[in-house]
Amino acid sequence: MSNVKRTWNVNGEEKTLEFPPLRRLLDVIREDMRFTGCKEGCGEGECGACTVLLDGVPVTSCLVAAGQVPDGTQILTVEGLEKTEQGRVLQEAYVSAGASQCGFCIPGMLMASFALLSKNSRPTEEDILDAHGGNICRCTGYVKIIEAVRLAAQNWPRK
Amino acid sequence: MGPKRKIKSGHVGADSTRVDAPDKVRGRAVYTDDIDVPGCWYGKVVRSPVAHGRLRSLKRDEEFDWSRVSVVLPDDIPGKNIADLFIHDMPFIAHDEINYLGEPLALVAAPDRELAEEAARHFHPDIEELPGIFHMEEIVDLYKKQDSSLHSLGEQTTVKGDIEKGFSEADMIVTGEYWAGYQEQLYIEPQAMIAEMTDDGGVFIRGSLQCPYFINPELCLTLNLPPEKIRVKQEMTGGAFGGKEEYPTLIAGYCALLAMKSRHPVKIVFDRNEDILFTTKRHPSWGRLKTGLKKDGTITAIHAELLLNGGAYTTISRVVLARGILHAAMGYRCDNVFVDGRIFKTHTFPCGAFRGFGAPQATWAFESHIEELAKACGMLPQEFRRKNCLVQGDVTPTGMVLKDSVGSPAVLDQVLDRSDFAKKLKQSSRGNPKHKKWYGIGLAFFAHGSGFTGDGEARFKAKGAVELDWIEPNHPGVNIRISSTEMGQGAFTIMDQIAADAISIPLDDVRCPLPDTSLCPNSGPTVASRTTMVVGHTVHGAGLKLKAALEEFASKEVFEGRPVVLENGRFVCSGEALPFRQIAASYLDKHGRLRTEHQFTLPPDLKWDQSTFKGDAYPAFSWGCNAAEVEVDPLTFEIRLKKVTACFDVGRMINPLNCKAQAEGGLVQTIGYALMEKMGIRNGKYDADRMQTYIVPTMPDIPEFDITFVEYPYEFSPPGAKGIGEMPMDGLAPAIANAIENATGLRCNRIPIMPEDLFTLHRAKHQNG
Repeated sequence: MSNVKRTWNVNGEEKTLEFPPLRRLLDVIREDMRFTGCKEGCGEGECGACTVLLDGVPVTSCLVAAGQVPDGTQILTVEGLEKTEQGRVLQEAYVSAGASQCGFCIPGMLMASFALLSKNSRPTEEDILDAHGGNICRCTGYVKIIEAVRLAAQNWPRK
Repeated sequence: MGPKRKIKSGHVGADSTRVDAPDKVRGRAVYTDDIDVPGCWYGKVVRSPVAHGRLRSLKRDEEFDWSRVSVVLPDDIPGKNIADLFIHDMPFIAHDEINYLGEPLALVAAPDRELAEEAARHFHPDIEELPGIFHMEEIVDLYKKQDSSLHSLGEQTTVKGDIEKGFSEADMIVTGEYWAGYQEQLYIEPQAMIAEMTDDGGVFIRGSLQCPYFINPELCLTLNLPPEKIRVKQEMTGGAFGGKEEYPTLIAGYCALLAMKSRHPVKIVFDRNEDILFTTKRHPSWGRLKTGLKKDGTITAIHAELLLNGGAYTTISRVVLARGILHAAMGYRCDNVFVDGRIFKTHTFPCGAFRGFGAPQATWAFESHIEELAKACGMLPQEFRRKNCLVQGDVTPTGMVLKDSVGSPAVLDQVLDRSDFAKKLKQSSRGNPKHKKWYGIGLAFFAHGSGFTGDGEARFKAKGAVELDWIEPNHPGVNIRISSTEMGQGAFTIMDQIAADAISIPLDDVRCPLPDTSLCPNSGPTVASRTTMVVGHTVHGAGLKLKAALEEFASKEVFEGRPVVLENGRFVCSGEALPFRQIAASYLDKHGRLRTEHQFTLPPDLKWDQSTFKGDAYPAFSWGCNAAEVEVDPLTFEIRLKKVTACFDVGRMINPLNCKAQAEGGLVQTIGYALMEKMGIRNGKYDADRMQTYIVPTMPDIPEFDITFVEYPYEFSPPGAKGIGEMPMDGLAPAIANAIENATGLRCNRIPIMPEDLFTLHRAKHQNG
């Protein structure tokens, strides 16, 4: 199959890339664009470490064929978070709550948190559990991640 | 501006936030697979499709263009074809007998992953298949029959008093058998390693690993290189839990052999399926306990057997067994104890290190058994434990007198109090058919040895160093040089706190770089709950020496020989003060880098006999107690863990926030061990070999936690910490099983406990009764 060409907005910047249409979005992000913050933990959509946001919606990028992502899509990876005030609030909450240990699941976890809080900045306990149920962390036992999300919600910039 | 590190004064004992967190939350932390090595090839292991057999030949397709790839066969190994992992019973690449499914037959490297994988498919092994042994049940069956066909990989006994006399004094004897299954570490970053040749004919190995000084010297024999030609560096490591303790020597060896053959750097990163199938697991175990009791609850004799399924080769199993038997009857007063542990071979991947290292298996069996003992003499579980638990001045099963730093019974009392145990125990359902949900609470009490077994630390002589250097342009500061790794547990944050306090400078003037054998002394492996206690002590000692040297320099060079004290980042001399950075800079300008080192020692009166396994089993014990509250659905037998109350004594807490984080993470791994993480073997292959089938706890699975600490510092070793990393893994599984019994009236003697197990027990109980 011949390459396809796509123009996306990635972390706030326009990028045009060519790749085989079935190439995993994860590989395009990590290898072609060198956003290596996005991690591969299982390659089958179970662990959530490769979660990125496509137009604000969290997806596991290991299960997305990059050719399926249309032109003009806004892609947000962990590297794009610090460019926004909300992103920085979330990152600071993760640091001060002690939510990151080995850190390998954290880029995906942060994207799940960011997707949740962007839509719902006053989440209930159940909202938080639902939003992160697809992200596996083996270090923290999740307690401090939940605390971080609550803390970020408290400090979330509201217009 | 990104996130900032919170700094508090008085670093030891403060909730300092993690030094590695800012990079990790920005996606800037560089893990092995993130490193772009120019000209790097990709390695692949060609594996045996059968579990047990004899390799007749390994054919290769002639039509494949082999000139595009590099192949390593046993004859290509420069040194001996032996994996130098503790015992020399495993070849690096199989050449005759195959002992587990997936055993390496050849290695192949290619410029890209797809080609390496394609090349691997063009090997065709011809293997005469032989019958194999796979399951713990087979081992136990043969063991009970005393069948000589069982292949032992190691055994160890420890004896205290006179076991026969103890049983003769008993009013009753209670027996029980307790099984535990495999557990996969499931670190989220799979195994990853890179090796490249250096100009001097050596190799530079870097990757995701726990113990740089395991890989060097263990690869010397295979690569036929002296230790100084094998440089090992840890890269950012995405979780390990023991899974990157002894295993990385193998993947490092595969990369190094391929790099030497191909003359290209070679990277191997496992995919999840390969990682689960072909790396170590926690040893499945079987424990049989027989205990003599008096009517008043006094324990007169404990006879404990602990069997481990070792897998195909010995590797680290004897060390795991040692910790297992030292915890198999630990925690309670008894004059007559006999503990016997054995490891048996199966045709499965060698089992290995996993957080707790034999102690979770031992504690699972013993704390389930303790519950039976309480019942047998008509005592409540908390009364029985309170009566018999070891306290200061008591003697352990190996004859160690608990002289100081004994957090028992404090941890037990704290959990009984905070969980309102006595009241909740009365409310337990015990299978009452009138209850819509069955509620139960259960208890477990335990100790965990900190550091290497016995006099291991005295023999090892761990060293740590600190060095004054430019840590950034125009920023003089202190690098901590230790071989301990940061794999998520928070070691570097704690080391920064300890060093900053010892030297009396701000945290921002201290950093702990990832270890590199070319730069760090050997402070030992990052294992055995030893890092904070043992390596922290060496950093503290080295810091004090650096402080003294700098004070001397300041006195001589700046303050005309008057006494100077470095405190809180300032050199103070009779009312005058100069900042640390100013004096440090002038030291560096005049003398260059200053390095001080300190060695860990043990109290001179510590006695240990390795042949009889008697004496002071560990430098110190940490103590813990867990209460679990469960709810079981009487219709579906679904088990919900509602609340865990835990208390630990880990000595002095260097960083309470991090202690709590370690406890939470370990307890949640134990929820998986007890209730979810089921792995069987079919046709020699693990049946749960992907994240879709190997089920670990996710956020909605976690209970409410009440975690507290009591501090009984280990005074011999400033700053007074004991171990924490492993202990959260020890007690929650039996606490959950005990809670399930109090909820349902059903005793489970096998973990993980699944709803279908409860259903089977329920039917058996009602059919028979």
